[in-house]
Amino acid sequence: MSSPAQEFFRSAVEKSADLAHRQIIRKGIDSYNVTFERTRNRYVDWQRARQRLYEIKWDAINHLDRYLEEFERNVIARGGKVFWAENSEQACRYIADVALTNGVKKIVKSKSMVTEEIHLAGAFEKLGIPLIETDLGEYIVWLRHEPPYHIVTPAMHLTRTQIAELFQEKIGDIHTDDPEQLVAAARRALRRDFFSADMGISGANFLIADSGMIALTTNEGNGRLCTSVPRIHIAVAGIEKILPRLDQLALFWPMLATSGTGQAISCYSTLVGGPRRPGEPDGPEEFHVVLVDNGRSELLADAEKRDILHCIRCGACLNACPVFRTVGGHTYGTTYPGPIGSVLTPHLRGREFDHLSFASSLCGACTEVCPVKIDLHHRLLENRRDAVNPGAHHGGAHRGLERFAFAIFRSAALGSGRFAFFGGVARFALRLLYAVGLRGTALDPGRVWNKNHAAPAIPSKSFRTLWKDRHGAS
Amino acid sequence: MAPPEARERILGRVRAALKAPAPHHVGDPVTLHASIFAPVENPLDRFQKECAANITEWVLTKNLRTSSAAVAEILAALPEGEIFAQDSPALRAILSLWQSRMIRWSSEGAPPEASQVTITQCEALVALTGSVLVSSACGGRGASVVAPVHIVVAGVNQIVPDLDAAFALIRERNIAMQNSYVCLITGSSRTADIEKILVMGAHGPQRLIVVLAQRLE
Repeated sequence: MSSPAQEFFRSAVEKSADLAHRQIIRKGIDSYNVTFERTRNRYVDWQRARQRLYEIKWDAINHLDRYLEEFERNVIARGGKVFWAENSEQACRYIADVALTNGVKKIVKSKSMVTEEIHLAGAFEKLGIPLIETDLGEYIVWLRHEPPYHIVTPAMHLTRTQIAELFQEKIGDIHTDDPEQLVAAARRALRRDFFSADMGISGANFLIADSGMIALTTNEGNGRLCTSVPRIHIAVAGIEKILPRLDQLALFWPMLATSGTGQAISCYSTLVGGPRRPGEPDGPEEFHVVLVDNGRSELLADAEKRDILHCIRCGACLNACPVFRTVGGHTYGTTYPGPIGSVLTPHLRGREFDHLSFASSLCGACTEVCPVKIDLHHRLLENRRDAVNPGAHHGGAHRGLERFAFAIFRSAALGSGRFAFFGGVARFALRLLYAVGLRGTALDPGRVWNKNHAAPAIPSKSFRTLWKDRHGAS
Repeated sequence: MAPPEARERILGRVRAALKAPAPHHVGDPVTLHASIFAPVENPLDRFQKECAANITEWVLTKNLRTSSAAVAEILAALPEGEIFAQDSPALRAILSLWQSRMIRWSSEGAPPEASQVTITQCEALVALTGSVLVSSACGGRGASVVAPVHIVVAGVNQIVPDLDAAFALIRERNIAMQNSYVCLITGSSRTADIEKILVMGAHGPQRLIVVLAQRLE
């Protein structure tokens, strides 16, 4: 089996040359950009709003222990249960135990990235208890046995024709690729599941410390059905999802919606705290919150990079990233793709994901759009630094060659005569190489470019000579 | 069931990690107080405009009696099916004005799967976003999500200008503490998961209708 780095490189080459894929992604992101720009005008000062979110998240993360304990106390006071999971295995085992103890036969689930992270679906597959994804995008990729392509729009990479074919095969009786008909078909198929499931699993966009409630943002209403109809509700969330106060949602709800989908606010901004109370007509009998660490507390110890934990998973950095748009979400081979995935994954899953921090032009578009002001491109740089530090393992042979090349460059760049000499040698050598037909072969230093592009002509004169010719010697 | 010491280990690691202070980029001090959204000048007007934008239907009526007539008219145009309503004195009063159809009240339990329409009141309406704030006191969790049509009977005096005012009201009336469920509803259920094309009525209501009385009496 190849390493994640080799797999990333193979898939990146393939996807960046897949023009149909690039077109559908461009179409999706273009339409997001239009609504995002329009909605941003509703804010008097977007930059000020970002700074405010940063301040709130800074406070939350830098007093995480205190707020987590407050959250736990308040959930328990509401009759809910809190379980702390150090890793995926503990989280999955707890959720499975709750299901088995209660004789659960069917589970409906709303969209949650952390349940992807801990591979919850795999745990229930082993137990043989059906766990049904109910967010439309998740439902589509789940039927295809694929991971979500994008944090917010999981089926962004598929055309309506592909989805129609999928539904025809899995649900049947679909003879159209009209999105409205496809949504209606999914609604009909899932409706039965909502009302026959014993357990609903949701994520949480925020954990509200002062109220002991979880905040869930959805548009379809599936999250509301999952948390209202079945007799048990389990919410799964990373420990970094904490917000100190309920009224801070007055800003987080609109900012999450605008950054995520370009909406002013999502359709359903929901707060759930505890099981059904006496006198309430409906709601589950049990409410559990599973707090997942899974590497987060170690990242917290890295004070320089701690702000990675401010992330509210809006997906804006994915949409802004030229690398994501070109190589696509699945190429990353991670739960969280795009810039946030590149900075986060080495900390959650280890050094074999270091290569992701190098797959960036460091253009800073991600930093600019982040609603909580995470300095993403500097986090990428720091990940690179840590990846090449002595002691860090990072492709030995490759590094030797890289060091040698940089030694030559350093010597050339330190003297103008040497620079001119090496430049002349390089131009001569390239021309010779191409003249004998070695363009694009292993000997061609420009082969990566030349494989997919027309090669630029080699200039006959250096920049210095041209300058002298036009402006005279100085 | 699970190691209880996991909690202690996680909190221990968190406390140890936080001993090293993280850089804090302090912004312009005005940021912490300045308003993020322009103040809402005319709440009723803004509420109606936002509803039009987020695809919430609304009917403006004079009082409860005309609201009752408006609800009857909406129901008459809908296909036959079960009606589920929040059990409250106001809704009992307006629905008793016409008794042609069977109504299931929230005091009898959860709304059934086959509900054709649900009728509830709300905690507040938010002008800034054209939203309806409901809690489990408004007929329960399912009352605003299970049926294809959700009708909200409200009064103009329930409109608050923005989200800050909505949260102030939640605190004032202790809504979060007295209910296991609170939801800010903005428009009817929708999805854009297929080619980013907007489709209404994913899993929740296809239509959200606010019947708004000038005076709730």
